[in-house]
Amino acid sequence: MSSNRFGQDAVLIALEKFKSGQIDRRSFLTAMAGLGLAVAMRPGAASAEANEIVVCNWGGAALDAFQKAYGEPFTKKSGTPVVIDGAGPETGAIRAMVDSKNVTWDATDGGMTDALVLGKGGYVEPIDYTMVDKSLVGEGLAAEFGICNYTYSNVLAYDSKKLSSAPASWADFFDVEKFPGKRTMCKWIQGQLEAVLLADGVKPEDIYPLDVDRAFKKLEPLLPNLIFWDSGAQSQQLFRDGEVVMGNIWHTRANLLRKENPQFTWTWNNNLMFASAWSVPKGNPAGKKVFDFINSSMEPEGQITLLRIMGNGPSNPKALALMTEEDKAVYSLAPENAKTGLKISAQYYADNEAALQNKFLDFISR
Amino acid sequence: MSSFQRWAFGLTVPAALLTICLYVVPILQVLALSFTEPTFGFGNYVEMFGSAAIGRVVRTTIIVSAVTTVLTIVMSYAVAFALVHMRPTARRVALFMVMVPFWVSVLVRAFAWITILRRNGVLNSALVGSGAITEPLELVYNQFGVIVGMVHYMMPFAILLLYANLSEIDPRIIQAARSLGARPVAIFARVWLPLSMPGLAIAGLFIVIFSLGFLVTPAILGAGRVLMVAEYISVQISSTLRWGVATALSTTLLLVVGVLIAVAVRSPALRAAFEGGRR
Repeated sequence: MSSNRFGQDAVLIALEKFKSGQIDRRSFLTAMAGLGLAVAMRPGAASAEANEIVVCNWGGAALDAFQKAYGEPFTKKSGTPVVIDGAGPETGAIRAMVDSKNVTWDATDGGMTDALVLGKGGYVEPIDYTMVDKSLVGEGLAAEFGICNYTYSNVLAYDSKKLSSAPASWADFFDVEKFPGKRTMCKWIQGQLEAVLLADGVKPEDIYPLDVDRAFKKLEPLLPNLIFWDSGAQSQQLFRDGEVVMGNIWHTRANLLRKENPQFTWTWNNNLMFASAWSVPKGNPAGKKVFDFINSSMEPEGQITLLRIMGNGPSNPKALALMTEEDKAVYSLAPENAKTGLKISAQYYADNEAALQNKFLDFISR
Repeated sequence: MSSFQRWAFGLTVPAALLTICLYVVPILQVLALSFTEPTFGFGNYVEMFGSAAIGRVVRTTIIVSAVTTVLTIVMSYAVAFALVHMRPTARRVALFMVMVPFWVSVLVRAFAWITILRRNGVLNSALVGSGAITEPLELVYNQFGVIVGMVHYMMPFAILLLYANLSEIDPRIIQAARSLGARPVAIFARVWLPLSMPGLAIAGLFIVIFSLGFLVTPAILGAGRVLMVAEYISVQISSTLRWGVATALSTTLLLVVGVLIAVAVRSPALRAAFEGGRR
C-alpha cells in the first residue's frame, strides 16, 4: 500500500516538473480511470492485441516517464509497442480483473507487498525466471511474484537552520530534549515503527517481527510533538511552512525540498528502503512476452532515465557505474547511502499490514 | 390525477430512474456487502460493536459533531438576527459575504485554515508579535482545528436556513410585545426564540447530519490525530481492504441518520419548518 502511495506521489512530482497540457490517448486513459469508468470501458481492452505490452502505472507524467525509461528501449529492440495505462493498478482492481477474466494489463507497477498479497491470492503469475535474468537486480529484489522495477527510501529530513546540529539517526529524531520542535511522520504504517524501534535501540537485524507494543510505548510521550502526513506533497509543505524541524519522509520529496531551499536536507543514515515491483496479472493478454519486456526494463540506461525524471532508484546495481555524482546523491542503493539502510520487509507487511495500520491509526488519534 | 398531474409526474420519471440506478441500488449493494464480506452473517457488526478502536472513532465523531453543531447554531443565529435587522442595502452586501465561501472548495478552505492556524501562521504570528502570548498556541492538527474548519464550512448553510426563518417572523408581533412593556431581553427570550424554533431545529438537524459524515476537513486539519467515522471508513475501503467492517459502519451511519430524521420530523418545531410555506 505504501508503495502504491509512493507511485502516485512520484507521478505528482513528475507532473510538477513537466507541466504539459496536451490531451493524447494516454491522458484519455487516465481521465477515464479518474472518472471511475475504467472498468466499464477500458480502452485497453479493445486494443489489447497480442502484439503489444500494456503496462499499468499511476498515471499523469509517469506515463511519459515510463514510456521513455522502459517502453521506448523495449520497442526499439523487439518492435513490440508498449502502451502505458495510468489507471492505477490497485490490488482491488487487479483482483476484479482476474476474477472477471477480463485482464487487460500485462505488467503492473505495485509494491513488493502487493506482489506477495496478490501472489498468495492467486491473482498474479509467477515471474518466469527462465526469461527474466534474476542477476540483473540487486540481492533480495527478485521474488516469486514480483521483481523490483525501482527503489525508494524513507529518510530523516531536517531543517538545518532550526536545529543546533545535524541529527544523525532516528534516535535523534525522537530526542525532543536535544532537538526541540515538531516532527512529521507518515500516517501510513510502512516504515514508521521501524524508525521508532531503531531509535529505541533495537538492532536492525531484530526489527522484524515488529515489537508493536514497544514502539507504541516509545512513541506515546512524543505524540504531542508529531504531525502525521498523508501525501508526499503535504510532507513537503510542512517543511516549507516551518511547521516541522524534522520528518520521516520519502527521499524524492526531501530532494525536492533541498533543490528548493538548501537549508532543508536529509541524512541517508538509517534510511528505510522500499522496493517497488512489476507483477503480471493472471491471464495477461500478451502471455509470456511480457517477461521479455520485464527483462528489458532492468537495463540500467532506462532505469537511470527514470531516476533523473522522477527520483525512483534503479533496481539494477549496474546502473551505478553510469551515474553522475548528482545521480548517486539521490539514489538510496548507492553504497555510501545504503550502508546503514534497513530493508523494509515486504513479507511482514503482506501478513500484517491491515491489522497494523488500523492499530496505528487508533493509537495516534487517541 | 388530472392530465397535467400525470404529465408533471412523467417529468420526474427520468430523474427517479437515475437516482434508483445510480444511488439506491449501489447503496443496497453496500448494505449487502456488510453481511456477506468476507463470510455470510453478522460477523462485521459483532466486530464493529466489540471494537474499542471503532468505539473511540465514534466517540470522537459524536463530540466533534455536537460541538460543531452548537457553535454553528449560536454564531449563525447571531448573524441571521443581524441580517434581519439590517437596511436592505447592507443586507445585500452581508448576504453576499455569507455566500462567498460557497465558491471556495472545501479542500482550499481546509488549507487556508492551516495557513491561519499553524504555529507560524497568520494568527499565531500576530499574537506573538503583539506580545499577547510568548509561545504559539496549538490551534491546528487537533480537535480544535477540526472544529474551526467544520464550523466555518457549516455556517453559511445555517445562516441561510435561520435567516429564511427569522425573516418570516411578523414584525408586528415584536411591536406588540414592546407596546405591552416587554424589555429587550424578554422580547428575545419569549418572542424571537420560540418563533425561531423551526429554523433552529432544521438547521441543527442539517448540521448534525452533515458533521457526522465529514471527511476532508478532519483529515486535513486533524492530520491523523482526529479520526472520524468517514475517514475510518475510507481507510478500510481503500487501504486495509476490510470492506466488510467499512460497509457495516456505513450502513450503521446511514441508519443513525435515518432515525435522526425520522425522530426529528415528528417534533412540532420541524413539522412547522417543513410546512412553513403553506399557511
